[in-house]
Amino acid sequence: MPSSDLIALLPLLVVAGTSVVVMLAIAIHRSHRLTSLLTLIGLACAFASLWVARTLTPTEASPLLEVDSYALFFLGLILAATFVVVILSYDYLEKQDVNREEFYVLLLVASLGSSVLILSAHFVSFFLGLELLSVALYALSAYVFTRERPLEAGIKYLVLAAGSAAFLLFGMALVYARLGTMGFPQIGALLSGGDQLLKDPLILAGMALIVTGVGFKLALVPFHMWTPDVYEGAPAPVTAYVATVSKGAMFALLVRFFYQTRGVTLGPVFLVFSLIAIASMLVGNLLALLQSNVKRILAYSSIAHLGYLLVAFLAGGRWAAQAVAFYLVAYFITTLGAFGVVTVLSSGERDADALEDYRGLFWRRPWLAGVFALMLFSLAGIPLTAGFVGKFFLLTAGVSASLWNLVIILVVTSVIGLFYYLRVIVVLFATEEPAAEVAAALPPLSASGGSALLALTALLVWLGVDPAFMLSVIQRAVLSLKGL
Amino acid sequence: MDALFYIASAVAIIATFLMLTRMNVVHALLFLIVSLLAVAVVFYTLGAPFVAALEIIIYAGAIMVLFIFVVMMLNLGKRAAAQEREWQRPSLWVGPSALAAVLVAEVVYLLTHADTRMSGAVALGPRQVSQSLFGPYLIGAELASMLLLGGLVGAFHLGRRIREKR
Repeated sequence: MPSSDLIALLPLLVVAGTSVVVMLAIAIHRSHRLTSLLTLIGLACAFASLWVARTLTPTEASPLLEVDSYALFFLGLILAATFVVVILSYDYLEKQDVNREEFYVLLLVASLGSSVLILSAHFVSFFLGLELLSVALYALSAYVFTRERPLEAGIKYLVLAAGSAAFLLFGMALVYARLGTMGFPQIGALLSGGDQLLKDPLILAGMALIVTGVGFKLALVPFHMWTPDVYEGAPAPVTAYVATVSKGAMFALLVRFFYQTRGVTLGPVFLVFSLIAIASMLVGNLLALLQSNVKRILAYSSIAHLGYLLVAFLAGGRWAAQAVAFYLVAYFITTLGAFGVVTVLSSGERDADALEDYRGLFWRRPWLAGVFALMLFSLAGIPLTAGFVGKFFLLTAGVSASLWNLVIILVVTSVIGLFYYLRVIVVLFATEEPAAEVAAALPPLSASGGSALLALTALLVWLGVDPAFMLSVIQRAVLSLKGL
Repeated sequence: MDALFYIASAVAIIATFLMLTRMNVVHALLFLIVSLLAVAVVFYTLGAPFVAALEIIIYAGAIMVLFIFVVMMLNLGKRAAAQEREWQRPSLWVGPSALAAVLVAEVVYLLTHADTRMSGAVALGPRQVSQSLFGPYLIGAELASMLLLGGLVGAFHLGRRIREKR
């Protein structure tokens, strides 16, 4: 392997190296503070090394991984998100009655898996990245094993994710059996070559199975069954991670795979994705109306948001890819912020996920309630927040490709969504007194958690008011994407 | 010879189906092992003797050893011996044995004849496998090792009951 490849893969190597260093540090001296600090330093170094890798882009580091500006942009996004999750996790884990340090090793392994997904240009790296991410997430979602709910979430995620991985593998095998190659560029070249191949039953069956595997990870309807239970059961910072990094990395791969292989131009694949998008937007928003658990509301809302993203994904073209990237940035900030508030309000006994925990929060913790309300406004797509700008971009992408049905459903379901976000906000500002035990259980806000939430809020408003800078960064990143 | 491939594939499918429909774990496991052995023969006829050997060593071998460990840890007594007698009824071992006999016949044929591979298949030995594994796919091998690290740390954490005193 030439040394230039190693330099191009430096961000990956730093993340992998950090996980080993952190593991050895735990073996030598068990200290929560030291472990989390090492993790933060490793993530910051990996983020800085993006600029080193950038000097070599675009390059193919081995047949498995492709390092281009598109991949580096998403790498930066997930590294930053992991950084925030680590900060939020510190205080949360301090309150828990289990070993805290292994959490960071698992988190780093999961981030390595997400990075591999983002860089992959081959079925082998696709599957390895997915498994790295999944195996770490099984353990992370059951991390606080002294409680029942996380264990349940871990088992559910294990069984269902393993099943979906089998679907994915079978799909890859079918495509390989027909085409004799597993590299995305080669598959793209073969598929754009002949119309005969596009109608081949093996290819279509393979693509359908791959869509199933990807749809599970993205929690798209009808593969969404695990989402509310795992979101509710997993520890709040892990839920934030599952909702952002795991889904973001998979969506980046989805865009790269289906654009590069031109899979999305296959008629049946396009139709299936349209139906999935419609079902996700409708089911996500309608089922969220019935929930009284904040984590479950956010779970169903994330299903709907991935449906919105599919609209732009289906539109295709350079602008759509930019809209997807921007929406993912806004979604990351908002979701991290919302679950961040849940995290800092959680205690050692249980996560603050009941709607009652938030009754009248504004009168006791005005800043925290304000941050939460802003995050919910952004999820609902109210102007002056990043969520509004993101949704606007998605709509323009959909309109410019004349996907009228999808666009109309996007608008209608967004209006339905407004209702349950506002319901939470009404509870936040309710004036009646909460139950005494709820008021007493309010944990103090730490400086690190508070500053992380403040930074997220600042980013949210900045992107909502002045998206020009982020848009220019994304514009340059998307240039390297093939098959647009 | 193509027939070998199809016979072994049929054995694999039948054994897997019977494994899924068994109620007793031990019986299901017997069929699973037959299925794995059949897949090994399939790999061999496709021109991958190295993978066929790995299939037997890792799957059939490791699963059997794990199972023996579990049986040992259960510390079985007289009741287990009685159950063992119950299990040795012919109706329970005839199925897996018949399927395994088909595979044995195939292996005997493979050892005594020259045209053992599917038409068009080229044999790839350990040398070619390792050359591509530690050549262009080196990153893949390294990522698999990180996967083991993640699994190990996760199992270590979940398997331990009480937090260490700090």
